[in-house]
Amino acid sequence: MSTDATGDYDERVTEEITVTVNGEEVTAEVEPRLKLSDFLRNECGLNGVRVGCEHGVCGACTVEQDGRTVKSCLSYAVQADGAEIETVEGLTDEAESEDGSLHPIQEAFHETHALQCGFCTSGFVMATKELLEENPDPTREEIEEGLADNICRCTGYQNIYEAVERAAEEMRE
Amino acid sequence: MKPAPFTHHRPETVEETVELLADLEDVELLAGNQSLGIVMANRLATPDHLVDLNGLEELQYVEETDDGVRIGAMTRHRTLERSDRLAALVPMLPEAAEQIAGPSVRNQGTLGGSIGEADPAGNYPAALVALDGVLHLRSADESREVTADDYFIAYMFTDLREEELIEAVTVPTDPFPPERTGMAFLELKRAAQTWPTVSAATAVRVDDPSADDPVLEEVRIALANAADIPLRVPDAEDVLEGEPLSEAGLAEAAEIVTDAVTPEGEMHADRDYKEEVAGEYAKRSLETSYERAIDGETQHGDTTC
Repeated sequence: MSTDATGDYDERVTEEITVTVNGEEVTAEVEPRLKLSDFLRNECGLNGVRVGCEHGVCGACTVEQDGRTVKSCLSYAVQADGAEIETVEGLTDEAESEDGSLHPIQEAFHETHALQCGFCTSGFVMATKELLEENPDPTREEIEEGLADNICRCTGYQNIYEAVERAAEEMRE
Repeated sequence: MKPAPFTHHRPETVEETVELLADLEDVELLAGNQSLGIVMANRLATPDHLVDLNGLEELQYVEETDDGVRIGAMTRHRTLERSDRLAALVPMLPEAAEQIAGPSVRNQGTLGGSIGEADPAGNYPAALVALDGVLHLRSADESREVTADDYFIAYMFTDLREEELIEAVTVPTDPFPPERTGMAFLELKRAAQTWPTVSAATAVRVDDPSADDPVLEEVRIALANAADIPLRVPDAEDVLEGEPLSEAGLAEAAEIVTDAVTPEGEMHADRDYKEEVAGEYAKRSLETSYERAIDGETQHGDTTC
C-alpha cells in the first residue's frame, strides 16, 4: 500500500491490546485490521497457527479464545484484547511436559498416523480439544461433526477420526 | 487475503452504537465476522469503519415473553443450538442453528449477523419467515418492528436502513403449543461448510395428537435457497390444513412448492433439480414435523435425512 498525499500511511491508527497467550500476558500496538492469526504468528512467534486459506474455510488457524475454538483468520487482534488465547503450542504445557512429551491428542495423532503433510494438524488438534472437553466419548458421527470446520487434503480423514477416538479413550482414563 | 485498513469502534451500549451509526459514513457492523470477514479478506468490502458489536452483552440473551420468545441479535449459533428453552418452545430454531457450518463458526456467528446478511440460503431467514418472526430494529431516532415477511425484499436486500441496528428477534409461540406441535428444519448440503442446496423449514399443529388421524390445524412451509428471498408457500399450507396428513396431500403440497420456487441454478445443482428438491424436502420436512407433533417428544436433533 502506498503513501497518499496526506500521509495517511504514517498516521495509521493503532490500538494497544493486552492478550493472555498460552498463559503469558502479551501487550502490543496493533492496527485494527491485523488478523488474530497474523498477530499470533508474527507478534507472538507461534507458528503452530497455520495460515491456509485466510478466509475462514480451511480451519488450519483454529485456536481457542476464552475456551472456545475460533478461526483466527476471521477475528481481528483488537477483538482479543483482554481475552485468553490458547494455541497448539499451549498444549504441551498443559501436558506438563518438560521433556517434550505430547498432549494425549497430539500423541494419538502421532500414533495413528493422522497426518501426512501436517499443515492442517494444529487446527484439527485444537478442534479435537474442544470436542473432547464437551463430549469425552463421542460417536464417529459426532467426531465428524465436531471436526466439520477443518479441512485435510492428505489423509482422507479416517486416521484423524481414529486418532480422536484413541485420544478420547486415553483422556477418559 | 488481508482486509483494507479500517477504524475499529467498540461501543458498550446499544445507545452508543446507534449514535455511531448516525454519525459515521461508510460503516459496517461487526458481529460474528464469519461472513463479513470473508468478504473483507477478499476486499469485496472495504468499509472505513467497523462498529464492533461484541461488547454488547445486552444483545446476548434468549428469554421467554408472554406470547413468545425474544432472542438478542448477538446471540451465537452455539447458544441457540443448545438452548433448552428454545428446544422446548420453538425447536426449529436450535435445529436450524446446529446445521450451520462447524463448531468454530457457530461459536462466533450470530443470529443478527445472519439476518443482516440476508442470504436467501441462510437458515434463520427461512425459519423466521416460517414462524412469523418479527425483527426489532433500532436507530438513534426510532425503534420499529418489521415482520420477517416484510423484511426480506430481494436478493440480500432488506428493509434494514443504513443507520439501523438489529436488536432482537421475537417469535410468537401461541400458534404452537409444544404438546401438539412438530417442527423440522431440513437441509440438503454437500458438506458442513457449504451453503445448503435447498432447505425446508416446516411447522405443524394438530388438533389431538392421540387421535387415530390427527388433523392439521396449522401448517407452515418455507424454503431457503429456492428464490431470491426466503420463500413462504401459503398455497401449499392451505391444501394441507383441515385434514390429517395424507400421501395425496403431501404430493399436492410438494407439487405446489416445486411450482412456487424460482431458484438460481448452481454449478452442482441446476434449476430443475433444485425445484424438485424443494418439493421433496418440503414433503420430508412435513412428514417429520407431523411425526414429532404426534410423538410429543423432544423434537430437537433427531432428523434422520
